[in-house]
Amino acid sequence: MTSRVIRFGIQTTGDTETIDITERVRDMVRETGVQDGLALVMTLHTTTAITVNEGLPDLEDDIVEMLQRLAPAEGDYRHARFLHSDGQMAVNAPSHLRGALLGFQCMFPIADGEMVMGGRQTIYFVELDGPLYREAVVQVIGA
Amino acid sequence: MIDIHTHPVQVAELLDRDPDLPRAVRDVFGLFMPPQPLRTYELHLDEAGTDQAVVLPIDCTTAHGAKVVSNEGVAWLMEQTDRVIGFASVDPNEADAPAKLEHAVKEYGLVGLKLDPALQLFDPADRDHAFPVYEQALQLDIPVLIHCGLSWARVGRSSKAHPLALEEVIHAFPDLKIVIPHFGWPWVDESVMLALKHRNVYLDTSILHSGTPPESIRHTLERVGLDALDRSLHAQVLFGSNYPRVDPKRVADGVRRLGLRPSLERKIFDTNARELLNMNAQVAA
Repeated sequence: MTSRVIRFGIQTTGDTETIDITERVRDMVRETGVQDGLALVMTLHTTTAITVNEGLPDLEDDIVEMLQRLAPAEGDYRHARFLHSDGQMAVNAPSHLRGALLGFQCMFPIADGEMVMGGRQTIYFVELDGPLYREAVVQVIGA
Repeated sequence: MIDIHTHPVQVAELLDRDPDLPRAVRDVFGLFMPPQPLRTYELHLDEAGTDQAVVLPIDCTTAHGAKVVSNEGVAWLMEQTDRVIGFASVDPNEADAPAKLEHAVKEYGLVGLKLDPALQLFDPADRDHAFPVYEQALQLDIPVLIHCGLSWARVGRSSKAHPLALEEVIHAFPDLKIVIPHFGWPWVDESVMLALKHRNVYLDTSILHSGTPPESIRHTLERVGLDALDRSLHAQVLFGSNYPRVDPKRVADGVRRLGLRPSLERKIFDTNARELLNMNAQVAA
């Protein structure tokens, strides 16, 4: 049994983006040489998300619009103040809430050295408060 | 579109090349966020719709033994990207501050001066220390952005940054262009009074105290009166974000949501800063 954690960076370029990281994750899993096990994909931020959906531009737009509808930019949010521990204004409550709606990780089985994925499944790293340089991890556990 | 007020204190490349800077950013400026690549800074400008932004250093040598970005660092940044407009900073408590300012402007091409009485711990109306610096700025024909109001830095003393302290400066240097950032919050009325009375006093929109920028900007400027902006201050209000205390996109959004007359919005976002910085003259030349 082996366990490897691979950290990787993503430079996002806009406020909200859906970034397809499927092939990048597949390559990382292959490089570990693990034949049977599990792959966890997790963002290291609370204003980004990891989600899985069909890799179509219209659905990407629909997901973003759903998030904006459920957690609108304007609202009576408590998280709208100076955050002393950061030295910055913490005024991104909608970004946090959108992240909470999508979740922060996904997991796939590994069999015969490959991730087991549905034919329409795409792994997205979702930026919810960009642009920023972001980090995520893939943990591969198996043998 | 010009952002008159950003601090390059989160730019990783700048922090990497100056071993003293990370401590200054943390312990003096009071920012505790991890660095970001210069590319992120440029993308922040894109997201706000900004073409170029002024980067502000703060020379706190006497008060805190540190420079929150040096003039040399600003000059280096200007070589890396054409998106930044460099201001200088000198420590008024140092006798050679005027000479250092002249050097920064003439050798590095910096086009303005940033002073922060709250962090540099000087009296803006000090004739022995501050006035020679203003005199030099006037001779060099550069504007001076002087922090006024709330200082978010833990070690910052807001009491040193009351805008009324500038009245004596304005009287002594009636042709010196002075920018009061943050509308001087919480001393908004005093700051606006100075700008209403003196054509050489400017105000910037980085109004950050509580709530989101759209909320704090609207709350503050409606108190002043949006009609006063349009009628009396249309040539003296500048878009400033105060990045990275807050994201420029949110401050820009806050100004856009005011629903100002398009001509006034254009002046705030662009024209007023270009005139202040003599950018139109540079293009014409």
